[in-house]
Amino acid sequence: MQIFVNLITRAIFMSTPLVLGALGEVLAERTGMMVTAIEGIFLVGAWGGFIGAYLSGNLLIGFLLAMVCGLIVSLLYGVTTIYMHQHQIVMGTAVAILVTGCCTFFYRVIFGIQTVPLKVNILKTIKIPLLSKISIIGQAIFSQNLVTYFTYILVPIIFFVIYKTSLGLSMRSCGENPEAADAAGINVTRTRFLAVAVAGCLGGIAGAYYPLCNVGMYNAEIIGGRGWIAFGICFLGNWNPVGALIFGIIFGISDALGIFVRAMGTSSVPSELFSALPYILVIVLTVCRKQFNVPAKLGANYVKED
Amino acid sequence: MKQQKKVAELLLWTVLAIILGLVISFAFLPLLGVNPVESLKIMLSETFADKFSMGNILVKTTPLILTSLAFAFTYKANLYNIGAQGQFYVGCICAVAVTLQLQTKVPGPVVLITACLASMIGGGLTGFIIGFLKAKFNANEFLVSMMSTYVITYVMQLLLRTVLQESKHEYLKTDYIDNSAWLPKIINGTSVSLGIVIAVAAAIVIWFILYRTSMGYRIRVMGFNQDAAAMSGINPKTQCMLAFFISGAVAGLAGFTEINGMQHMLLTGLESDIGSYGIGIAIMANANPIGVIFAALLFGTLQVGGTALGHSTDAPASVIDVMLGFVMLFVLMSFFVRKKLEVRSMKKQKIQKGEV
Repeated sequence: MQIFVNLITRAIFMSTPLVLGALGEVLAERTGMMVTAIEGIFLVGAWGGFIGAYLSGNLLIGFLLAMVCGLIVSLLYGVTTIYMHQHQIVMGTAVAILVTGCCTFFYRVIFGIQTVPLKVNILKTIKIPLLSKISIIGQAIFSQNLVTYFTYILVPIIFFVIYKTSLGLSMRSCGENPEAADAAGINVTRTRFLAVAVAGCLGGIAGAYYPLCNVGMYNAEIIGGRGWIAFGICFLGNWNPVGALIFGIIFGISDALGIFVRAMGTSSVPSELFSALPYILVIVLTVCRKQFNVPAKLGANYVKED
Repeated sequence: MKQQKKVAELLLWTVLAIILGLVISFAFLPLLGVNPVESLKIMLSETFADKFSMGNILVKTTPLILTSLAFAFTYKANLYNIGAQGQFYVGCICAVAVTLQLQTKVPGPVVLITACLASMIGGGLTGFIIGFLKAKFNANEFLVSMMSTYVITYVMQLLLRTVLQESKHEYLKTDYIDNSAWLPKIINGTSVSLGIVIAVAAAIVIWFILYRTSMGYRIRVMGFNQDAAAMSGINPKTQCMLAFFISGAVAGLAGFTEINGMQHMLLTGLESDIGSYGIGIAIMANANPIGVIFAALLFGTLQVGGTALGHSTDAPASVIDVMLGFVMLFVLMSFFVRKKLEVRSMKKQKIQKGEV
């Protein structure tokens, strides 16, 4: 039984950054913007988070810096795609290369060459009184860290914003029919830009989760495609915050299973396959899931005619 | 005449953007206490110091041309093959496996031709699967091709740890392949092999397919307007699978030129950036197959220069990524500026003619 509780705890723990990143992506994609820079945003978040936390000794400053870094990258992406009408997928790749280079370069500028990896203390788990005593579910859900709680509170909030507010309605109309939205007096470029900026902030925090909550150090491979998985979760979750949560947990479970199997060490299945599992899962699920509720103008730039 | 002027303008803007990108990234160097002017001198003098390092430019350029073509080809059909890295690895695995099996059993040229075909078929089938999933299940090809790279990277690690591992069982790499199965060197005193000729030939073939055959025409029409293409009897599903097969085959070919032409073995993490660099190159060249050759040459030069910089100064090798990133960013921005200016001059002409 204890193993099962550990597995679920671990799954929720590992799913947090994926859900967080996917939530930002859902917001942006609802307005028609694919934030293909998400892998770069995750990486810059991890970088900024680690730098901030290490230099100040305060994790909160780390997360704040991560948010700012994510915001800057998303603004760069937003300006070039929304105002300069560049192709979203192409731009995302360019941003990813630039961010990869800059992170490694400035890490070197700040810390020089290190023989031993620098470490920070990771964020503590907070057991919520009473609730964490409930058997299995309570034990797993209510003994997590603050970022995880924040993420789970954010899911209903974003759901409410998208589906129950007028802001959400105008956001969705920018993704479905920007011409009509424009005619109705909605500022399409501004709405899209704001959504991308929020996605950048959330993506930055999600990226910082890896150094500040999981491993306690930073290296250039720390994200290793996790940003793309969050991107995929947004697709699989049907552009819906609740869907993103469900698929985030599925990926968390696959991550946790891999860790458990490797820890037991007596597996007949090669460990490489467990490492590849999340990526295989994205492919399989993308193929299996039908009837997507894709925003009609997803990925298409809106050029206002003058 | 007008066409020529347009091409000249495009080239001018691209060159300006590249220079701007390089200037900005060099401006970062003083942060590490490295003098940018000195390092530019070092870069140029080391890169063009002797025949060997100039040859290295061509060596680096070879796989870049091919992965870039892979992206450019599907891009023309408005499809996105982001998985050239994975298809390159499949090509590597096929080439090295075939070569290790056949070498010493059959004559060298036969080994080479078989390995070449195997790498192309391997890469092509990987691409085909992505195209098939897109055509039959409407799976997002961008996502699937992106994920396929990660899966293939782990599969390659598994193979290198088990069946393909060297006889000493020490590192994650294969045995060296026999001399007889090496692609012949074409310039003495360098490592330049026939691979560069193959890569340039591939670019010309891709150009020919795209602009001189009906198949290429169908692919380009699909890129312009998929609905119009379907109306005029072009089956988008067939074209999608075909485009992905060819794209994958070209990326797989890079595996062959890299294994038999350069590395002579397969090791884990081999050239792990050429997939994303390929996309950058294709963008710089505006997905024109002939332009790709020159853009890849520029990237190759930057890579060799950046490595030389890393050896002789305190600048880290990551400065190459910074350079490439800024260059790509400014090239993309230059597209926007050029279009803006074009629209403005067109409006001016109309006003002068009194049409508005």
